Amino acid sequence: MRIITHTCTTCGTVVSANELEGNRVMKCPGLDCENVLRFADLPQEDRQFFLEHAEQYKL
Amino acid sequence: MKGVLLSGGTGSRLRPITHTGPKQLVPVANKPVIEYAIEDLEAADITEIGVILGHKGREEIQELLGDGSKYGVDITYIVQGNPLGLAHAAGCAREFVGDSDFVMYLGDNMLRHGVSDLIESFKPGEYGAGIALQQVSNPEAFGVADVDEQGAVTRLVEKPDDPPSDLALIGMYVFTPAVFDTIDDLEPSWRGELEITDAIQTLLDDGHDIDSHVVRGWWKDTGKPEDILEANRLVLEDDHLKREGRVGPDAIVEGRVALHETATIEDGAVVRGPVSIAENTVIESGTYVGPYTSIGPDSTLEGVHIENSVVIGESTIQTSGKIVDSLLGRGANVGRADDELPEGRRLVVGENSQLKL
Repeated sequence: MRIITHTCTTCGTVVSANELEGNRVMKCPGLDCENVLRFADLPQEDRQFFLEHAEQYKL
Repeated sequence: MKGVLLSGGTGSRLRPITHTGPKQLVPVANKPVIEYAIEDLEAADITEIGVILGHKGREEIQELLGDGSKYGVDITYIVQGNPLGLAHAAGCAREFVGDSDFVMYLGDNMLRHGVSDLIESFKPGEYGAGIALQQVSNPEAFGVADVDEQGAVTRLVEKPDDPPSDLALIGMYVFTPAVFDTIDDLEPSWRGELEITDAIQTLLDDGHDIDSHVVRGWWKDTGKPEDILEANRLVLEDDHLKREGRVGPDAIVEGRVALHETATIEDGAVVRGPVSIAENTVIESGTYVGPYTSIGPDSTLEGVHIENSVVIGESTIQTSGKIVDSLLGRGANVGRADDELPEGRRLVVGENSQLKL
């Protein structure tokens, strides 16, 4: 299973794609980091792959 | 070598304690379980640690560990989100790990002798992975390894009806980056998770040798209340306990007792170690604190007889009754009903609580 992550450019916290997709737009979960992360920050290919296989990333 | 410390999970077996916080922050001998893991990694000269966070307790874990500098390590946080299995958690750490080998450590597990022996046993370039094993009396409840005479793993079986050995996989692994390609090819198991045993079995099937290391000393998964009590007993048995607080001249203190410099044992109290008493806690007259008990911070004990128990903290316990083999959550208070009518116990008990009266 391909695991897709995104790294916050401000604090370096790594966030998995399922977390990003679940929120679409979210405050970075890094403590005291004010950066806003978006599912759209992922490369187009990663987003497309994730959405085509979304069932895999759910419990 | 880097470290990947898993700190997700729902802590469902530790409810109600985990209704308000992650299981990795439950204290054993007045120290959160996860701190033992961080210290083990640091002791093995692993100073770059990725901490995997789930949904529960993200902020609390970050608030406790910070950037890791107070432990002499550098921490990167990795948010896994949905608990999609240990192999998924490892996969989330791919960018953090890069080209390094890495130790994966379950953040609610404790090892008496840490992970240094496991790392020393693992020879880079020779093995695809290394696993920590321990002999157990009920291997059918664990992932079990079949191991040859040289210690090389030949097969892994998950919860087998007919175990090939009594060597259970415990929550410590060493991996090379080769594991990430293996994880890419994994499919979720019947329970919808990417299983780390499947990843290791695939490495085996692909021709990698897997090292095994049978750990010395105790290992404890602290997933259930009784596990916390046993871990507390094991740590208090081993730890060097420093008595720094105030002890009244007419108090009786026997055995090894860790007493924080701001804690007090007043005249007329009896404390029999091994015991740990945290900051700003007062043991008042008429109280007995018996062996294998940890009393957390900001608590007051008055008249109670308590032993083999963990009081997490911010509690007031005033009953004249006896409390044994118990785990009391933060802010839990126990009063006395001796003079109240009608006679009987008065309880406000949260969901998933367990009482024996």
